[in-house]
Amino acid sequence: MPLNDDDFMRYSRHLLMDDIGEVGQQRLSDARVLIVGLGGLGCPVALYLAAAGVGQIGLCDPDHVDITNLQRQVLYRTDDCGRLKVDCAKQALEALNPGIVVSVFPREIGSEILADRYDLVVDCTDNLEARQIMNRACYSQEIPFVSAAAVVWEGQLVAFDFGHFRSLCFDCIIDHNSAEPMMNCANSGVVGPVLGIMGSMQATTVIRLLLGYFEQHGEMTRYDGKRGQWLSIHCNRNLDCPTCGSASD
Amino acid sequence: MINLLFFGRLGDLAKDAPTCIASLEPDTTPLGIRQMMKADHPELSKALSEPQVLVSVNKMIVKWDEPLFEGDELAFLPPVTGG
Ligand SMILES: [Zn+2]
Repeated sequence: MPLNDDDFMRYSRHLLMDDIGEVGQQRLSDARVLIVGLGGLGCPVALYLAAAGVGQIGLCDPDHVDITNLQRQVLYRTDDCGRLKVDCAKQALEALNPGIVVSVFPREIGSEILADRYDLVVDCTDNLEARQIMNRACYSQEIPFVSAAAVVWEGQLVAFDFGHFRSLCFDCIIDHNSAEPMMNCANSGVVGPVLGIMGSMQATTVIRLLLGYFEQHGEMTRYDGKRGQWLSIHCNRNLDCPTCGSASD
Repeated sequence: MINLLFFGRLGDLAKDAPTCIASLEPDTTPLGIRQMMKADHPELSKALSEPQVLVSVNKMIVKWDEPLFEGDELAFLPPVTGG
């Protein structure tokens, strides 16, 4: 949909920027983004992308809001406990920005949801199996995949622009036969704003990808909130990768 | 000499661990360094043996059997998988 008068006011702080402007805002408005996982990462990602005017947002999560979520999952209110996260999130996002369309999938991620032609998938889940499903679907559909994770004081971000790069994917970095590590947020805890930082970086990365400003395919960023340290590392393609190993470039 | 970096919570377990290896034996690998830690730093060594721990040399992810060379910076990154 073309931008209307209200949009020109709502998005004025984007329209002021030469490298976003009307053309960039229209690109955001035309975009379809799937957010998988509506926990500590998914909440800030969904809020920022809805506020930024990403036109169609899919939300996938089978869980209900629990009181132990409220320390970090900033989309939900105490009264939401017991409700489906996707329903609470849809309501909050549409109140924030009535000009966008939000669809909900209250179940585990599966290939039938991913088959519905998104422009980009954001991984806000907490397990390897879901990441592998998303990575493979994004690779085969040649769409970008933006993955993040966090535990205790630490965060990780890695994004893949599969529309432009056909080698190096999530399966190259984390062996597809790996067991889950012992520490997770449920048994070890996590600092809320660390999820906010990583989720905000994911949302920024989504906007960069949609506007064509992303050149860090497969580069991993690590954050240690306890010491205030960042680390960026490069990853190599794995020629034995079950997903991209046979790619020629 | 090679420098060692134990990122994130590995740093909590590596407080008394060396920050460098002064004289490098030929064919030393990240796996070899992990095994060296076993006697004096058992908790650190155990954490390094967890699934999905990543190793990087000079800011590039490598395999555990990658040979190390004089001047390398070896970093160990603990798994981060929650969301
Ligand atoms: Zn791969």
